[in-house]
Amino acid sequence: MRNARSATVLGRLLAAAFLVCLLTGLYSHFLQEPASWMRFPTSPVWLYQVTQGIHITAGIASIPLLLGKLHAVFPQLFQHPPVRHPVQVLERASIALFISTSVLQLVTGLLNTYQWYPWPFPFKQVHFALSFVIIGSLAVHIAVKLPLITRYWRARDSYDADGRFVEPSGELDPARAEHEAVRELARMRRDDAPTSTSTSTSQPAAAVHSAPQPRGLVGRVTRWIDDAREPERDPARSRVSRRGFFGAVGASTVGVVALTAGQSFTPLEPLNAFGPRQRGIGPNDLPVNRTASAAKVLETAMDPDWTLTIAHGERTMAFTASDLEAMAQGDEHLPISCVEGWSQTARWRGPRLVELMALVGAPSDRSLRVTSLEEKGGYRVMLMGPEYANDPTTLVALEVNGGRLDIEHGYPARMIAPGRPGVLQTKWLSLIEVI
Amino acid sequence: MTRSSAVPAVPSSSASGSGATGRGVRVARAVLVVVGIALIGLGGWVLTETVSPTRYGGLLVWLIGAVIAHDAIIAPVVAGIALLVGRTGRRISPAVLAIVQVGIVLGVVLTLVVVPEIIAKARGPKNDTVLPFDYGVRLGVAWLVVVVLTALAVVAWTVLARRREARRAA
Repeated sequence: MRNARSATVLGRLLAAAFLVCLLTGLYSHFLQEPASWMRFPTSPVWLYQVTQGIHITAGIASIPLLLGKLHAVFPQLFQHPPVRHPVQVLERASIALFISTSVLQLVTGLLNTYQWYPWPFPFKQVHFALSFVIIGSLAVHIAVKLPLITRYWRARDSYDADGRFVEPSGELDPARAEHEAVRELARMRRDDAPTSTSTSTSQPAAAVHSAPQPRGLVGRVTRWIDDAREPERDPARSRVSRRGFFGAVGASTVGVVALTAGQSFTPLEPLNAFGPRQRGIGPNDLPVNRTASAAKVLETAMDPDWTLTIAHGERTMAFTASDLEAMAQGDEHLPISCVEGWSQTARWRGPRLVELMALVGAPSDRSLRVTSLEEKGGYRVMLMGPEYANDPTTLVALEVNGGRLDIEHGYPARMIAPGRPGVLQTKWLSLIEVI
Repeated sequence: MTRSSAVPAVPSSSASGSGATGRGVRVARAVLVVVGIALIGLGGWVLTETVSPTRYGGLLVWLIGAVIAHDAIIAPVVAGIALLVGRTGRRISPAVLAIVQVGIVLGVVLTLVVVPEIIAKARGPKNDTVLPFDYGVRLGVAWLVVVVLTALAVVAWTVLARRREARRAA
């Protein structure tokens, strides 16, 4: 099971998961910190709910995949001598960087969903910076291993007729071995093409036991271990052990995903045993992230003289809660989608933002600066691009799930727009400025 | 996706070969190395732009700690257990070993993911809707389910294997 084919199979699954994490992560990042020219889709309304759910779920799935991949290649850590070829300096350095950054990324990412931060550095900034280092070191690693990856891309090129792994023939020097691997594959294909498979399988099978083995004490230990697993030389047994390995990685990947992803995806909701959030739990049947007491708005939000001020240049209007209630009310099903992965669609009710903007004569191509009653906090002030400000589904919500907004959900009024992260759905609204 | 371009021209090229790994592979490797190093550089630059230098020491300790935690603790323990199981289990059918292995790995991975959750819950979440469950009890139940399912799978496999053998003997 510890061979280049297993490493290739797990490696490409892991690379796919990491790429998905990178792309969905970049989308989430730019939604929160857009360049001024960036515009985002407001439809489908569940777009961010899905991309961020996938981001967290793919990250969780990467935990067993990474452990399995590292397990499959673990003995190579002790190869002796540690460096046999200049290419290997690059190879080992990129692997060291990849392992340290990706293990840290998965650990801190998981703990972030539990809102537990035991490390001495800022999560968000480091998570963002490390994502590039991970993909970069992965690219270098793939570059070094590319001949082996292509050699063992397909199962039928990797095992002989008896199910034995076909080692790459060639020198002990792995750089050479990789080089050899591609030439050998080409030879096999050439042999395959005109004649039957009988000739091509017999030749590589002879190379089965010529695998590069570590030398020295480590080599002796490795051989003792291999002797302990001698039965696996039997192809039937080794096939079973391989299936057991992939079964274990597969079952644990499916297991962790199935038992946590219900916080993000409706079909898995009944299985949500270990998700850090559960849909339907909280005031208004909706989970809460930042509470009113943490935001220090318990008094200002309950003030009977509260007004929502809307400013467009010189033109300023103040709306009391009853003014807003007296307006035409829009009803929308929109998800609240947290960057931590959980999400829940709720029924929101309140005046449509476009109608409020029309009252102050705001042109449709303008952005908005929205300020909360919060005294401080990273999301006290939120910028909203024209694509959200003009979307008819964007509401200044007064009600959710059939009841007046709970103070934890932003009483007296909050913003709810389609396809945005929860942190940008500003609660306890105070001021909307056209900019 | 890279297969067609990465594998050297197979059928018609001369048997002697140029000794090269193939042009496609060489180009792909060069592109990957350049892109990879550029991305690493970008990550480093983003880090210096957004994170205060006073935090670098702590980050470095955690990065090194991550490697140590895996390479010096998790991996050797797993390798040791696999070895012990392999040596003691030589008389047990390999399929039964494989089934048991699937069960153990599933349970251990669930434990790895859920134990930090139990600790985070014990430390006190910010509000009641964060970590709403009793994750310790749920983890116990999960282990129970895994053990029962594994046992059922082993029994089922054993019965089927015996029947198969009996049929072969008859």
